[in-house]
Amino acid sequence: MSGIQEDDDLVFRKICSLIEPLNEKGVKLSRDTDLIADLEVDSVAVLDMVMDIEDFYDISIPVNTISETKSIGELVDAIHEIKKEQA
Amino acid sequence: MSLFDKFQSTAVQYTALKNAVGRDPFSVSMDEMKGPTRAMVKGKEIVLAGTNNYLGLTYDKDAIDAAKDALEQSGTGTTGSRFANGTYAGHRQLETDLADFLGYKHCMVFSTGYQANLGAISALAQAPDDVILIDADSHACIYDGCQLSGAETIRFRHNDPENLDKRLSRLGPDVKGKLVCFEGLYSMFGDVAPVKELVEVAHKHGAYALLDEAHSFGVFGENGRGVCERDGILDQVDFYTGTFSKSLVSIGGFVASNHPELEYLRFSSRPYMFTASPSPANVAAATTALARLKADSSMRTKLWENAKRVHSAFRQFGFDLAAPESPVIAAILSSREEAFMAWNFLMDEGVYVNLAIPPGTPNATSILRLSVSAAHTTEDLDVIINAYGALAQVLQKKSA
Repeated sequence: MSGIQEDDDLVFRKICSLIEPLNEKGVKLSRDTDLIADLEVDSVAVLDMVMDIEDFYDISIPVNTISETKSIGELVDAIHEIKKEQA
Repeated sequence: MSLFDKFQSTAVQYTALKNAVGRDPFSVSMDEMKGPTRAMVKGKEIVLAGTNNYLGLTYDKDAIDAAKDALEQSGTGTTGSRFANGTYAGHRQLETDLADFLGYKHCMVFSTGYQANLGAISALAQAPDDVILIDADSHACIYDGCQLSGAETIRFRHNDPENLDKRLSRLGPDVKGKLVCFEGLYSMFGDVAPVKELVEVAHKHGAYALLDEAHSFGVFGENGRGVCERDGILDQVDFYTGTFSKSLVSIGGFVASNHPELEYLRFSSRPYMFTASPSPANVAAATTALARLKADSSMRTKLWENAKRVHSAFRQFGFDLAAPESPVIAAILSSREEAFMAWNFLMDEGVYVNLAIPPGTPNATSILRLSVSAAHTTEDLDVIINAYGALAQVLQKKSA
């Protein structure tokens, strides 16, 4: 349990570090932060940021999954799911 | 909560920029056309450098005559789809001519270029078994085709065969069909894809390659058959898609293939089955423009001469150009505001180009996209080059 939590935290932190350059308004990032509504990031920028995540973890995240993902927490969960599948 | 709330933030930004320059770049009205490269806009004659009229055939006499004849003979519209309401001889003829020109066995004509990709991709790939891999900078019609298909869609890095290879390698064994989509010439930045490498990688993984040559048909290759002709892989592309609304100066699109199963799309591709077929005049204009393109390579020679002249002049002015020379020349500006101002400045100088600003542009860049035409006269090019020269001075003064 604690292992998952820690790993969860690592993925969360990795995503936050990739989002930070897009976070022009300086919003405090949490699992509940909505990528588009809260950060006012355009959808193409989200897709490009996800590409960096994909390269970092050596996974592919389908566009279909990204469009269903609204918050950072949902993205973190999706990455865990895909890491498991593609491992 | 209103349906319209979601448009608010973009609308506010857009209105502010529009008001600041006093013109709307996204709804310029050509009040009267003055030929392939000129139009009247609010009482002023403007040089058109924001079209896709690469070969400059929009006023070609043969194409106009053929369209007129078709109009008289076959009427103004087909009033229905080919699936439900029948095929005209002209549709078949154009499919045969395109297949012959490209050296493919099969061709299907669609009502727009957008629908050609939408129709091909959505019918070829299906959820949950198939996967589509698309270049990250793909045109909206490729993205929309993926969405309509419902199949899992994975983006690979723009023009990056190695990244495509990696992504194809990651796919699980339960994936049935794989479709890889990319373009020959990218319409906004004017950069060309490494089509040979991309097709090789696709085939190595047992995937089909769909290449969209919308902007490169008539422009690249010894005979104008596109980037894949130039790179010697015309016979290796599984699905070759294109449009009539650029070099072929009409409206419509097509998919060509050597796979006989392409014909199945006629009863499985919704954007083919549930929309009216192209009108007789549009079909005749495209058919004749294709014949002109086949018979006369001088337009392509002229187009490239013009493109080289403009590209080298812009480079000398110090513009940050997005790609090596091609008929699409995109200058990268430092911000949305600067691009808006520059676009407006060029309009004042009598030149119409395309403004592209975020959201929706790759890497959130702001660009002025110019397209060169074989029909641009020396005088047209002088106007364009002088206007950009003046713009370069204004931008330098601003940054100094």
